[in-house]
Amino acid sequence: MNGATVADLGLVLPELILTGMALVLILVARRIQSTSVPVVATVLAAAAAVAASWWVLSKEPQSAFGGLITVDGYAQFFKVLVAAALALVALLSVKGLEGSGAPRSEYHVLLLLASVGMMLTVSAVDMVTFYLGLELITLCSYILVGITVDRPSSNEAAIKYFLLASFASALMLFGISITYGLTGTTSFSGVAASIAERGLADDPLQLAALALIAAGLAFKIGAVPFHSWVPDAYQGASTPVAAFLASGSKAAGLAALGRVVVIAFGPDSPALSIILVGLAALSVAVGSVLVLAQTDMKRLLAYSSIAHVGYAVMGLTAGTDAGASATMTYAFFYVFMTLGAFGVVIGLGARGATLDGYQGLASQRPGVAGVMLLFLLALTGIPLTSGFVAKFVVISSAVGAGYVVLAVLAVVCSVVSAFVYMRIAVLMYMREPESPTPARFPVTLSVAIAIAAIVTLVGGVLPRLITDWAVAP
Amino acid sequence: MLLTLSIFIPMLGMVVVLLLPKDNHNLIRWTSVGIAVATFIPIVVLTMGYTDPDGESAADTLLAERERVIAEAPEAARAAILALTAEGVAEANDPGTMSDLAADDERAAHWSLVKGDREAEAAYHEAWELAIAAQAAISQNLKYVEYGNWIPTFNINYILGVDGLSLPLIFLSGLLFILCFVYSFNITKGVKAYYALFLLLETGLIGVFAALDFFLFYVFWEIVLLPMYFLIGYWGGPNRIYAAIKFFIYTLVGSVVMLVAMLALYWQGGYDTFNLLTLIGMSGNFDATFQMWIFMALFLGFAIKVPVFPFHTWLPDAHVQAPTAVSVILAGVLLKMGGYGFFRFSYTLAPEAGTSEFMVMFIGLLGLINIVYGALCAMAQTDFKSLVAYSSVSHMGFVLLGLAAFTPEGIMGSVFQMFSHGVSSAMMFLLVGVLYDRAHHRDLNKFGGIGLQMPYYTGFAIIGFFTSLGLPGLAGFIGEMSVFMGSLNAEGFDWSGTSLYAPLPRWVVYAALPGVVLTAGYILWAVQRVYMGEAKKEEYKTYSDLSGREVFSLVPLAAMCIVLGVWPRVLIDFMNPTLDVLREFITTAGIGG
Repeated sequence: MNGATVADLGLVLPELILTGMALVLILVARRIQSTSVPVVATVLAAAAAVAASWWVLSKEPQSAFGGLITVDGYAQFFKVLVAAALALVALLSVKGLEGSGAPRSEYHVLLLLASVGMMLTVSAVDMVTFYLGLELITLCSYILVGITVDRPSSNEAAIKYFLLASFASALMLFGISITYGLTGTTSFSGVAASIAERGLADDPLQLAALALIAAGLAFKIGAVPFHSWVPDAYQGASTPVAAFLASGSKAAGLAALGRVVVIAFGPDSPALSIILVGLAALSVAVGSVLVLAQTDMKRLLAYSSIAHVGYAVMGLTAGTDAGASATMTYAFFYVFMTLGAFGVVIGLGARGATLDGYQGLASQRPGVAGVMLLFLLALTGIPLTSGFVAKFVVISSAVGAGYVVLAVLAVVCSVVSAFVYMRIAVLMYMREPESPTPARFPVTLSVAIAIAAIVTLVGGVLPRLITDWAVAP
Repeated sequence: MLLTLSIFIPMLGMVVVLLLPKDNHNLIRWTSVGIAVATFIPIVVLTMGYTDPDGESAADTLLAERERVIAEAPEAARAAILALTAEGVAEANDPGTMSDLAADDERAAHWSLVKGDREAEAAYHEAWELAIAAQAAISQNLKYVEYGNWIPTFNINYILGVDGLSLPLIFLSGLLFILCFVYSFNITKGVKAYYALFLLLETGLIGVFAALDFFLFYVFWEIVLLPMYFLIGYWGGPNRIYAAIKFFIYTLVGSVVMLVAMLALYWQGGYDTFNLLTLIGMSGNFDATFQMWIFMALFLGFAIKVPVFPFHTWLPDAHVQAPTAVSVILAGVLLKMGGYGFFRFSYTLAPEAGTSEFMVMFIGLLGLINIVYGALCAMAQTDFKSLVAYSSVSHMGFVLLGLAAFTPEGIMGSVFQMFSHGVSSAMMFLLVGVLYDRAHHRDLNKFGGIGLQMPYYTGFAIIGFFTSLGLPGLAGFIGEMSVFMGSLNAEGFDWSGTSLYAPLPRWVVYAALPGVVLTAGYILWAVQRVYMGEAKKEEYKTYSDLSGREVFSLVPLAAMCIVLGVWPRVLIDFMNPTLDVLREFITTAGIGG
């Protein structure tokens, strides 16, 4: 293991950009009155981070800081995704936080820092950095969820999230320490080597450690049975924060899970496969069934995100590179379609918060109804939207791994959840409007929704633009 | 190229229509008709040229593609590909080479030459895939094949092609869309969206019949679903939303199960391809249990579309609620997607399962139930449209019966029945629509005396309903007759001296025969109640006869009913070469030949 050098800093350029911007915003926070400055700053930083990731991407995979993190295609893929999600969420926040009384500067600082945590997580190849990254995300998220202090529901959600997340973090830490005790190392490759040597199946303690780490990660991504915080947190948080939790956080959690699965516990991992199949099956089934009963849009999208995480995890069940890249594809497309849907919810304001608000939207705002329909179709998984490609690749890798029953369950559940997405379509297109025409969307929001829509559509027609790029670690 | 054109002209047309001003209804209507005609032109050219023996064969096209892949392949792959070729693949027309190519150990040996190099692996795989596909194309009588890479990561290609099975259905689709567009001039609500969705539907439908890559087929299959859902849900009758959701969910269930079957074929089949022709070429290697699962999963997907009892309940709801033109497309072509799927996918991909004793009996019995149960239900209806809808269920039963028998006459009758039902049911829905536009109700018991008031209309009605009834001299008779002959012939029928193939017992056919009488019963009874006797309401006496628009939509269909009834060889000669090779292939593969 080598020590860190100054040159290593060049490899974490995207993180440095975001951290730098966060520090600047903190310093000048009290002086900023306008709401647009932090938004512009955040979007610029995110764009710079995307550019930096592209720039570093052209190089070979290399490890930095004494093997604590690695900069490879997998990390870059997720860094670009995280930065893009950050930029979109910042754009959504302009309208989403209107009149909420949330301190603008601090809000964006938290978004930036959480994104730094995500970037660390996706590039971590050591249990310690991995845990640090996840904790940074979670800590920022507590405050983000509770940032609208005037609303009791927001505070309640923050407390709930805090209590449950602390518990999950403790579990994971416990798992990490057991693993360290057994293997004498915290690096993923070291753990993998040690497990390959000793064999995982015979060691109940190692299995327990694995289960604890998996449980902690399952909590972070909101997979059943560790999902109970998700609907409450989404509903209590302001809508852009919910969007952030649903997009960037999930992507980072999935990336971390992917690396743990493929590298650390990858070899000889029937136990891990069983855990993942269980998580995937439960998430898909529970998410798809409970989503049917929702009338609040944020809760609806929360249950939908639970189901989608289940689909994304399906890719990992195979434990192969192809499976991991299927999950990457899923995460990428899901982030954009869910951000788009949240964008429409935000744009419609109070009316967008409940299902009934969508009645007759098509006759009042055909464009808005059109993009919403696109996102709903993508969430359902209808061809020519990215959602279909995403479902296709993960289900395909599950079938490839021999989990045909899981695949059948997944497709049946996609039909079940289609019911609720199509109900929104029915409300929009086949009913007469009951509320007045909603105001025009601000430009920032429209831009964010348009980007999400373009990715969703292009991803559906020419998926190779993304799938070629999603290469497992 | 022409096939691609006929698929994507409607989609481009949809964009054009969406850009037109919303309130200029006539502009939108005529533009849409123009687009439908523009779509129909390449279809007609394809149909006219299909029987030309000098046309480029599908195998040639695929082999040319293979040459290209070899030429572009990296050196390592070329060696492997050529090693395979040297052992007798060069002569694609020699059926004996197929087994060489299909042998797994040979492949494995050459695979080791390219293993590890992604590009070489891909090229090797594609060249192999194309060689097998070229072999299979011969046994499928395909023409106008088009080939391109779509999503290379998953070996997904853009492959189109038609044969005597799919081309008539494409022709029918192209024609019906023109007629429907003209008929729909009376739609005034959301005209732009209506025509745009209809055009998207046309893209999906033609694509379904032309696609030869399973993934591509699935995409088109799902494209059909959406516009149909909105057309029923927005322009339909009072209970339209229920009907639309029911249609959507039923069909989605079928298609996702099909998706799993498709993925299982890709992975568990062991050949990593969605290329239908390659899969067909290798289907003999699938073991019996696997075939049974594949057959059942595909069967579910297609059976819901046909619809086969007990998955038929979405159909009457959808038909009754849908606007007339949508019903026409639904009955005329959409249901044929299911029947087409049986021929193109189920039997060719799982020949052993399809010809097994259990399946023959299973499908035969379902056909019997469809015929008799559908007819009994139709007889009990008081809603005119509902009656026609159930008659579709009954008529699609003949398609199943012919399939189960799998004799030459049975198959021919089955396909003929699909086509003639497409014509006659389309016509019947138009006829019901004409009446509904005037009376604004469809209650059979409240009509009467229409014949006196609207003689021309009644003339067309007689042709349409009697075709459905199966009157000799009209199109419906040929299909039903052939199915009965073929399926009665099935018992004791043996294939080239072997008796492994399980025949359909005659009693199933005898049990289905009363269906014909029931059909005559409900049709004659309906005709009597609507067209004969005294007018039950005074307002019926004020009805005007057919308008020019209505005549335009009805004349081509009536003409086809008569022509196909009197001179069925027009269609039979067109499709028989295809059906012969298809049956030959399936029975040979099915009995392990």
